[in-house]
Amino acid sequence: MFKIELKKVSRKRTVKKGNDSIEMEVLKGVNLSVQPEEICTILGPSGSGKSTLLRLINRLEEVSSGSICLDGVDINELEILSLRKRVSLVFQVPVMFDGKVEDNLRFGLKISDENSEQEMKKCLNLVGLDSNFLKRDSQELSIGERQRVSLARTLMHKPEVLLLDEPTSALDPTATQQIEKLIKDLNQELKLTIIFVTHNISQAQRLGHKCVILIDGEKVEEGESQVVLQNPDNPLSQKFIRGELVKEEK
Amino acid sequence: MMGIKEVLLALVLVGVAFGISFLKKLDLEKELLIGTLRSFIQLIAVGYALELVFDLNNLWLILLVILIMVLVGGQTAGSRTKGSLKGFTISSFSIGVGTFFTLGGLLLLGVINADPKYIIPLAGMTIGNSTTASALALERMHSEMKNKKDQIEQALSLGVPSSQAVEHSFRATARAAMIPTLNLMKIVGLVQLPGAMTGMILAGASPLQAVKLQIIVVYMLICAVSIAAVITARLSQSTYFTRYHQLIIS
Repeated sequence: MFKIELKKVSRKRTVKKGNDSIEMEVLKGVNLSVQPEEICTILGPSGSGKSTLLRLINRLEEVSSGSICLDGVDINELEILSLRKRVSLVFQVPVMFDGKVEDNLRFGLKISDENSEQEMKKCLNLVGLDSNFLKRDSQELSIGERQRVSLARTLMHKPEVLLLDEPTSALDPTATQQIEKLIKDLNQELKLTIIFVTHNISQAQRLGHKCVILIDGEKVEEGESQVVLQNPDNPLSQKFIRGELVKEEK
Repeated sequence: MMGIKEVLLALVLVGVAFGISFLKKLDLEKELLIGTLRSFIQLIAVGYALELVFDLNNLWLILLVILIMVLVGGQTAGSRTKGSLKGFTISSFSIGVGTFFTLGGLLLLGVINADPKYIIPLAGMTIGNSTTASALALERMHSEMKNKKDQIEQALSLGVPSSQAVEHSFRATARAAMIPTLNLMKIVGLVQLPGAMTGMILAGASPLQAVKLQIIVVYMLICAVSIAAVITARLSQSTYFTRYHQLIIS
């Protein structure tokens, strides 16, 4: 059974252009299946619907048609708040809530202080931060530290699936390398299924077991990362991988 | 006792404003003329209406007058929002609850008599201040939702209910809506001699008598405004979410 399965998922959105409202199809009948404990990278140029796809799995938005299943169950049949804890989304720009790191880690949890202290240290450790960070003001952290705390905050909810929306796009090369290693470690140690959105081809090659290429809301390629990225079948994927599609962005 | 002669003599002051506008080419002469006529007609009409209400001294008529005032306040506050029907409903309800609770409390405690001469002017002051608070709350909540979209969605994605995701915005909104009344409490008597007190002194009451009434008015206002601000903030926050805890703001 697939951990996550998208069946003909479409998402329409109304956008304003001047005085007119236009309906745009951000995702067009996307089929996608992700195995348990797999790292699946979603690759594509800006505006191709990658982030929308993650928002639909987390149900921050609703599908316009089609369905999404978690462990074979339609996510619309699951209680939404528990679904979001099972399928957690880490945003491109990490948002810290006011207060200390410990306030951020405890956010939305109902656990005793004693247990939470141990859990928080464990999660910080998993993302490569020591327990001294608990008392740090979250607003004073560097962007790389924020991204790690954001990951640790997500891990506090013990998710089964991690949805990562370009988590390294604002980071320098060293921090990017560290986060990539961290993601691989989390996948192996915690047996997490990971869907990783990126527009960086070499990153997809380094990280993903499987790779999906989205262009203009359509899935144009799917398969093993090494195969898809080295010998893409679809002419649009070939153009994207050669870096020619970026110039055609709207 | 003031007569129509004194009122007409006061028109000289409008003449001064008219002259300033003409000499300095402010192009406000027409607006000044309309404003002068409108305020004259409105106030005279209200004067006659109040005379009638005071003479009849009928509870249902008093309630009807207050209800109309509440609805006008709700329309004024609600018209500042995009979904003005929702804004109108929320503001009218908030202002109404604050007004009826406060006046009911004063009546039950025996602070004021069940006399339209007390109830209607006090209701006017309560509704006026609550309208400002409700309008401020609607505007602040909208900007909170717009400016803190990322933070709110980050919280939602962690599986917390929308009420918890916007708790910070709710508090900021309620506080902002109460600031004018809190400021009034700080400067009352020192910088500003409020209308009720000034009116009583001009009507010949002793300053001490006037001050006692003003103290009651200030306490009454803070109670009504707190209620209107909190209810408006709470009700308006819920209009920004679907029942699946999804933020809907363009």
